[in-house]
Amino acid sequence: MKRRDFLKACMMCGAATSLGISNKAWGAGSFEGYPDGMGVLVDLTRCVGCRSCEAACNKEQNLPAPQVPFDDKSVFEEKRRPTEAAYTVVNKFDDKQGGGPVYRKVQCNHCNEPACLTSCFVNAYTKTKEGAVIYNPKICVGCRNCMIACPFNVPGYSYSSAFNPVVKKCIFCYDTRLKNGKPPACVEICPQEVLTFGHRNELIKVGHERIRETPDKYVDHIYGEKEVGGTGWLYLSGVTFDRVGFDTTLGNDPIISNVKEFLGTVPMVLSIWPALFTGFHLLSTRNKDHSDHGDSHSEQEDPKP
Amino acid sequence: MYSVRNWLISGVVMLALVSAPTIGRGANVPDSINIDPLAKLYEKVKFNHAKHISLIKDCAECHHHTTGTQVQEKNCVRCHKNSEAKKTVACRSCHAATPFSAEVLRAKESDRWLYHQDKPGLKGAYHQSCIGCHEKGKGPTGCKECHALTKAGEELYRTGEFAPRPAPGSGKHGGH
Amino acid sequence: MKRYKAQGIDIVDSMHKASGAKKWTLKEKLFLGLTPQQYIAQALRNPFNWILAVIFAVGLPIIAGRFLFGLSWVTHSSCDYPWGLFLGFGLFGMVPLSSSGFQLGTTCEVFGRHDFEPIERLALLNGLLGYFFAVCFLLVDLGQPWRLPYPMVVAFGPAAVLFLVAWHVATYLSVQIAEVSVAFFEWIGFPVGKRAVRKIVLGLTVAGIILSTLHQGALGALFTYAPGKVHPLWYSASFQWLHFFVSSIPGGLCMVIVVSTIASKTMSWRCDDRFRNNLDKLTIALAKGASMGLATYLTIKLIGIAHDNKWAYLATGWGAWYAVEMIGGVVLPLILFAVAIRNNKVGLVRFSAVLTVVGVVLNRLNTSMFTFNWKLSEREIPHWREIVICITLYAIYITVYRFILARLPILYTWKTADETVPVTEKQAGYLALERAKPEPVGTYCSRIEESIPATHYTTRKE
Repeated sequence: MKRRDFLKACMMCGAATSLGISNKAWGAGSFEGYPDGMGVLVDLTRCVGCRSCEAACNKEQNLPAPQVPFDDKSVFEEKRRPTEAAYTVVNKFDDKQGGGPVYRKVQCNHCNEPACLTSCFVNAYTKTKEGAVIYNPKICVGCRNCMIACPFNVPGYSYSSAFNPVVKKCIFCYDTRLKNGKPPACVEICPQEVLTFGHRNELIKVGHERIRETPDKYVDHIYGEKEVGGTGWLYLSGVTFDRVGFDTTLGNDPIISNVKEFLGTVPMVLSIWPALFTGFHLLSTRNKDHSDHGDSHSEQEDPKP
Repeated sequence: MYSVRNWLISGVVMLALVSAPTIGRGANVPDSINIDPLAKLYEKVKFNHAKHISLIKDCAECHHHTTGTQVQEKNCVRCHKNSEAKKTVACRSCHAATPFSAEVLRAKESDRWLYHQDKPGLKGAYHQSCIGCHEKGKGPTGCKECHALTKAGEELYRTGEFAPRPAPGSGKHGGH
Repeated sequence: MKRYKAQGIDIVDSMHKASGAKKWTLKEKLFLGLTPQQYIAQALRNPFNWILAVIFAVGLPIIAGRFLFGLSWVTHSSCDYPWGLFLGFGLFGMVPLSSSGFQLGTTCEVFGRHDFEPIERLALLNGLLGYFFAVCFLLVDLGQPWRLPYPMVVAFGPAAVLFLVAWHVATYLSVQIAEVSVAFFEWIGFPVGKRAVRKIVLGLTVAGIILSTLHQGALGALFTYAPGKVHPLWYSASFQWLHFFVSSIPGGLCMVIVVSTIASKTMSWRCDDRFRNNLDKLTIALAKGASMGLATYLTIKLIGIAHDNKWAYLATGWGAWYAVEMIGGVVLPLILFAVAIRNNKVGLVRFSAVLTVVGVVLNRLNTSMFTFNWKLSEREIPHWREIVICITLYAIYITVYRFILARLPILYTWKTADETVPVTEKQAGYLALERAKPEPVGTYCSRIEESIPATHYTTRKE
């Protein structure tokens, strides 16, 4: 084949492959979060398992009716997780070491660098400046990569819907409350004020101050202060966190850090491979007639009879 | 000329005068309080104040230093060793009904000299104070033991007449 | 079909009918040169078609049901286990086996090893169909499959690895369609198209290598989003994408060995001399390539364990399963390949290739399903309808594969007008061809008129 044709083809293919493949990895590691970002400090020593937060969330987000009433405590017999019909659940853990049972509220943690957001290939998730991680069900394709990526196993999916299944999770009551500066429904209804709403930076100080003033009451750690890059929902606990269903092996790097190693090789491959393999080609066909290798096929043509 | 009878009468009168303030103060203390500033999902609470006074005796357990008695907690004594009584001792005079509204948050965060940044709101103060003690002693700890649900409350909690009907033959088909 | 050929019926393998200067019509080409009655008769006689009929009768309504009733009707996918067999087997399993396209394309066009040409088109078709059906599996799995073009045109999430996969698979499918279109243009008689594609084939091949490297690796990188959820023996923070890319090399080559074995045994009527005579030698050559891939893969896997100091996991139950996958799918094939290549045993190579293919698919299933969420106490067992849909889609894949192999010049060479001659002893001549001696190995500048000895055709007299 003619060299000119080959170069033309290379440029065409190179241009075609580099279209749209702009993989920008997010800056991480020293990202401190959004300065106006709100958060919630969850103090597990105060929770009594009344499930009012579940009831309030159900009403606020127009969720389907539950299978049992919200004041039914029998649900604590098994560990639940957020689903398409329940954006937040409370689980009960027996603390054998002398205290009574410990209750723990589970919901989306609204991370600073959400794994769901970084894994979505249609950019359906947004981290708003108020701190909420919300999503756009209108462009969700249903790949469920966000459910794989979330280290807290939070997003639920409406598998039962045939024509409009979408991801469902806590959105910090963004549309109805947070946008207007109001606290989410669960915070407002909690009788024990387990949930303290405020700016995330302030809440970290509040949390450390609580630990300082009553050191016997709390484990000296705010879960979510640094885990996976920092989360908007922070937890204080009186027992070690692994005993109340927290994953303590997560580390402080946001999930995107794991992926960056691969994403960094993409531009390298895109730029080096063409020259590398063209070089191989030239080297391996060095002593052979260049015009031959394509033509043995192209000569099998049918001349018109 | 002062007979023993006169001494006795004046002694009793003096005793009565001395103890008048104390009894008088006790007379201002209500025996029963209807706690209802936040009543919406639950009925108001009929709080037996007199019983709690005779059980707890120390006003500071619930009212901090506002009644004039001093608090014992280490964290409070640091600053409130000799704090005075306040004009109102009701919880709602210091604990905000909506602690997380934008205005309250803004006020709290703009006043950098405000020490009690972590003050609970009114609902939290009630429950933490009551339940905190009841769990240690023998008081009621269930929600409905202190206040019954209103209609709105029953609707929110999907209980009573709003309880969900069991779905017919609901299987775990593709469920979570 | 063998019966028809023995009877001397003319099967389509060139533009013109044997008996005259007339060209085959498209309809005749579709029916392979048989009459419709003959075609249906041979189809009904084939027992494999009966099995396919049963599979389709059960499976096609269930596929329709998946779209009518939603995913919960056909899967046990939950919020903890979002991905099931459709992705685990259909996408993650089939894609590495379809890497044969870029590998044989590179071998022939970039490295200039034209001795692989007899099998090149089969490898290209294998790649194209594998990717195409992987996308079909994806369409069945996606919650809203009609939104599949969204990452191309509606909303971009370029930081997501899946974005790269989507774009690359779409682009690579186009590249592969172009590469296979050469055979298609030959078949329908459109030489202009064929010439155009041949001109850019080097660029297409290099583009294919780039795209394949990245998306084979990207499918592995998808699991770096869930570092704690995949068992540490199958997960490597730094090398996950390399594991997937390197294992796709033996996967694709061995899949070609397997498919060529099946084709040469079940469709021997379609294979021409060039294919048949070169197949054994090429099988051994492919095995050499696969061995190198397997050896590299084994090394990288061991480095992955050493890098994060995970040796302790080998002593657990999961470690035993890992040993089964590695020994059965990598070490044993390596040894068998070595023995077979040294002693020129093609049968052993084929057996070892099957082991390798199973090993690669098992690795993908382990990473995406079996060891996923290994820390949770409950495992998800796939729904029976999910298994049925997988079998049905795979049966459709086999059917389409067979359909194309029977028609397009992939297992045989398309004869041009220079060779097909209107002579009356045509049928005798063809039968004589079948009994002829095996041809010497084609040189890299083989031309058709050189591979058919001059005695077997006469020149056309105007």
